[in-house]
Amino acid sequence: MVNGIKLALQQADNKAGNFTIKYESLDDSTAQAGNWTPEATSQNARKACQNDKAAVYIGEFNSGATAVSLPILNECAMPQISPANTAVGLTTDEPGADKGEPDKYYPTGKRTYTRIVPIDTIQGAALATTMKEDGCTKVAMTNDKEVYGAGLSRNIQLSAEAQGLNILFNEGIDPKAPNYRSLASRAQGDGADCFVYAGITANNAVQLYKDFAAAIDGVKMYGGDGVAESGFADPAEGGIPESVGANVKLTVATLSPDDYPPQGQEFFGDFEETYNEPNPDPYAIYGYEAMNLALDAIARSEDGSKEKVLEALFATKDRESVLGTYSIDENGDTTLTDYGLYSVDGGELKFDKTIKAETGG
Amino acid sequence: MTAAMGNRNVKIAIFLVGLFIVAILPLFFNESSGFIDDCTLALAYIVMALGLNIIVGFAGLLDLGYVAFFAIGAYTMGWFASGFYAEADIHVFVGEFASSIPGIHVNFLIVLIIAAAFTTLAGIVIGLPTLRLRGDYIAIVTLAFGEIIHRIAINGDEVQIAEGFPLTNGRQGITPVDKIDLPFIEPFTSLNLRPWYWVALALALFVLFVNFRLRDSRLGRAWIALREDEVAAISMGIPAVKTKLLAYGTGAAFGGMSGAFLASYLNTVNADQFAFSFSIFVLAMVILGGLGSIWGVVLGAVALTFINYRLIPDVLNDVPNKVGLDFDLSELSFGIFGFLLVIMMVLRPEGLIPERRRQMELEQGIGTGDTELDLVEP
Amino acid sequence: MEAASLPAAKPKALRVVQDWLSKYGLIVVLLAMPVYYGIQDLSDEGDLSRLGGNIVDGLSNGSIWALVAIGYTLVYGIIELINFAHGDVFMIGSFTAAGFFGTIGLTAGMGIPGLALGLFLTLLVCMLTTGALNVMIERVAYRPLRGAPVLAPLITAVGFSFILQNVGLLWRGGSQEGIGDLINSQNTLFTITGVEITNGDLLAMGTTIPLVILMVMFITRSRLGKAMRATAQDPEAARLMGINVDTTISLTFLLGGMLAGAAGLIYALYQTTIWYAQGFTAGLIAFTAAVMGGIGNIKGAVLGGLIIGIIQQIADNRIGTEWTPAIVFAYLVLIMVFKPSGLLGEQTREAG
Repeated sequence: MVNGIKLALQQADNKAGNFTIKYESLDDSTAQAGNWTPEATSQNARKACQNDKAAVYIGEFNSGATAVSLPILNECAMPQISPANTAVGLTTDEPGADKGEPDKYYPTGKRTYTRIVPIDTIQGAALATTMKEDGCTKVAMTNDKEVYGAGLSRNIQLSAEAQGLNILFNEGIDPKAPNYRSLASRAQGDGADCFVYAGITANNAVQLYKDFAAAIDGVKMYGGDGVAESGFADPAEGGIPESVGANVKLTVATLSPDDYPPQGQEFFGDFEETYNEPNPDPYAIYGYEAMNLALDAIARSEDGSKEKVLEALFATKDRESVLGTYSIDENGDTTLTDYGLYSVDGGELKFDKTIKAETGG
Repeated sequence: MTAAMGNRNVKIAIFLVGLFIVAILPLFFNESSGFIDDCTLALAYIVMALGLNIIVGFAGLLDLGYVAFFAIGAYTMGWFASGFYAEADIHVFVGEFASSIPGIHVNFLIVLIIAAAFTTLAGIVIGLPTLRLRGDYIAIVTLAFGEIIHRIAINGDEVQIAEGFPLTNGRQGITPVDKIDLPFIEPFTSLNLRPWYWVALALALFVLFVNFRLRDSRLGRAWIALREDEVAAISMGIPAVKTKLLAYGTGAAFGGMSGAFLASYLNTVNADQFAFSFSIFVLAMVILGGLGSIWGVVLGAVALTFINYRLIPDVLNDVPNKVGLDFDLSELSFGIFGFLLVIMMVLRPEGLIPERRRQMELEQGIGTGDTELDLVEP
Repeated sequence: MEAASLPAAKPKALRVVQDWLSKYGLIVVLLAMPVYYGIQDLSDEGDLSRLGGNIVDGLSNGSIWALVAIGYTLVYGIIELINFAHGDVFMIGSFTAAGFFGTIGLTAGMGIPGLALGLFLTLLVCMLTTGALNVMIERVAYRPLRGAPVLAPLITAVGFSFILQNVGLLWRGGSQEGIGDLINSQNTLFTITGVEITNGDLLAMGTTIPLVILMVMFITRSRLGKAMRATAQDPEAARLMGINVDTTISLTFLLGGMLAGAAGLIYALYQTTIWYAQGFTAGLIAFTAAVMGGIGNIKGAVLGGLIIGIIQQIADNRIGTEWTPAIVFAYLVLIMVFKPSGLLGEQTREAG
């Protein structure tokens, strides 16, 4: 993702309109946790607030981290663009959000946060729709209990129930468990024919898929964008074996390179050229677009001040981008709703088709 | 006699000057600078380390599950001062913004007292079953309790106290948490860190004061007697059960107060914060500074906070890369703490600033190694 | 244990109940879960194959814990130290195995003879590596502290545990890593009365049983084994009898480390996923197993390991994987507080 951000900046020659842009990378994770920490996240947000010249904050990757940085950035009215957050409650009070959301993240009462990925309501519906189409009857669902995973699983459940799918259970897993054989055999005992996991790769997803594949003959397996990366799909990088991958389908808010508008096609070409990587992970293009949106908003803001950039950001209308044409609504959400369905083939993610999901809520 | 008093006056003077410098320190830095941030964390960790010092340093009960008290204190703040219980609508002495969102919102000072009460109780509950165990078994039982609390924190989102009132929010975290709201002054913000620093300083001073008073009290001497020779202490009429439980209770209360403060300061209560490694982080502070030595523990806490939050991630992070190794130093942080524990124990077990009593043992031969050996045997 | 807690005279009936509880209470508590779910299965499904499946999975997972638990028990028996770093030595065993597979190019496709030879070689390499590592740890972190307060080596043990975890982190990264499934671990070998036995089950039990038998024979029959037992009972007397106590202690660490290495290899083959923090959980589980069986007691450690394995699988299957660790730790607390001598009785200096 960071590579996508850097590429966009490089192409714009570090310029937006009349302003020169400097990109400062702030990392909120520690290797020990392999994950973000609240201390580092809030420190980063304050660093950004403190810097008078900072005009846009791109991040976070993880919805839980945004819940920490957003209230701080909101206090200094710093425009924020997340390339990856999908948790519903950050912007709206639609189903899937908790009571009190999203207002509690905005102490000043003014919106400062936008995102360019569709929210989980849509991804949940996309997964449920796909499972329904594939003829699933009884679905075993697991989640990793984090903001993203738990939220997505709630949305899958809502949508599945609306479409008449039977969700057998929604188990929060222990990512430190050595294996999930007994959980898988429970699903097998209950007659599950499909399996779906809402969570990220780093929470032992590989073992989870392996165990369910072994326990249930011919099980169809599904996952969200949290596992759509080579660390999950490629056995050479410690991912699932090819035999398991053959039964896995993933939804990602990224479409096939062919389905993107010409600008999008160009991105894939440029990315390959710059980083020598023909298949960027699905979020690379979002990092790229987040930076481009930031540059665009700065260019449109006349004076480059935070207030004007924020105004320009929320005024984004029918922007033609690598992702397609979209606007930012008053909540800060994108108007894009398409999800791509990917299969895992020979260790790589292969695009299948675009899903137009029924949100049903 | 007068010489001793003069000595005492000098010490008080040094302390007051030091205190003054520490108190005005934030004025020399930008109000949201990273340095003040680190200092505030350091102060909060001093409170925790001093709490653990009572249990491990004074009473000699090796507690490997101290993170449990951090968790309980933080969750008290999460329960009583955030929008987490959105079904409820209770506001007690809180500012404008907190009053405007649903949930239970109680003033920080009240929550602080509740947190101290809860953790004291938790300390006693965890302490009770360990009373008759030998030292290494105490370590394992407290570790197990710490892990159980961690698990409950992770899975508490599935446990409903009442409809709409889950115990915790698991790994999704309770976010945001109310900011500290003190009477007569403006509500705290996340951008101006000075007030946070001063609150943390006040907490640290309070705990420091209590620590000194306890150490020199009858109770403090009872703890040390139990630590040095349990059988002898009991036969001298020290009530072992009550004395040990008081150590657990007070130590835990400090952990809880610091936990409540950190919940508000970090603006989140996330189950992932309460892992075993945090217990070791605090234990390393106590051991580095010197078991039982109050100023040593303060030094240990400050040193480790700065090593962990400044030195490793910011200052020295690139060093391995510069010498041609392919990793960041921050990846080594826990190995460094582990190394520190081993080195300290092997080379300087009494810590950087040894406790006066231990120093006397080592230098003047007061007390013998044998009593140390029996430290934890029943 | 101490003067203050001497029980006052109690009514006889109460004492009978107390005696009964302290003898059989632990067994009752341990049997509660399988019996409860067994009855539930019988009434719901009419057979015990679900519970049977849990127990088989439990036995194979448990035999890995058993191998690790023996290392704890041996060390505790001889120097009364909870070797906290032991779980991480086990993790290094797994990592060595995974690394060595790559070095000699083992893949699932090689015929059975080639695979068997390769695995046997790996087993030797793992056992030697972890054995040597464990001896080194004892030299550096525990021997200098002999005679220091009991808590001192425990703290260095925790320190070493962190160092080893960091080594693992640098070695193979911070998240779980799937490795090649060399033995088709989850392939069903045969089915007895509805219970499936997989390749992995056979491997885990088939390697553990001979290793444990060898170990018990070594300790009861050989000269060195006798020296170990003598040192465990009374180091001073052993020294006077001409036993080199330092060498004997090193030997104990070597044996414990070798078993942890074997367990590491089996774990890697059985689970097909390894990561740097696997040792921490495994260490705690194995320690629980050792205490459950009676610390210092090898047969107890094996029994404890198998029981914990079964408890974990039943909990995974019925209650939910996210609660399993809490249940295991709750057992640990219960046993340490109410029955610290374990099922088969502890064999340490204090216990006599």
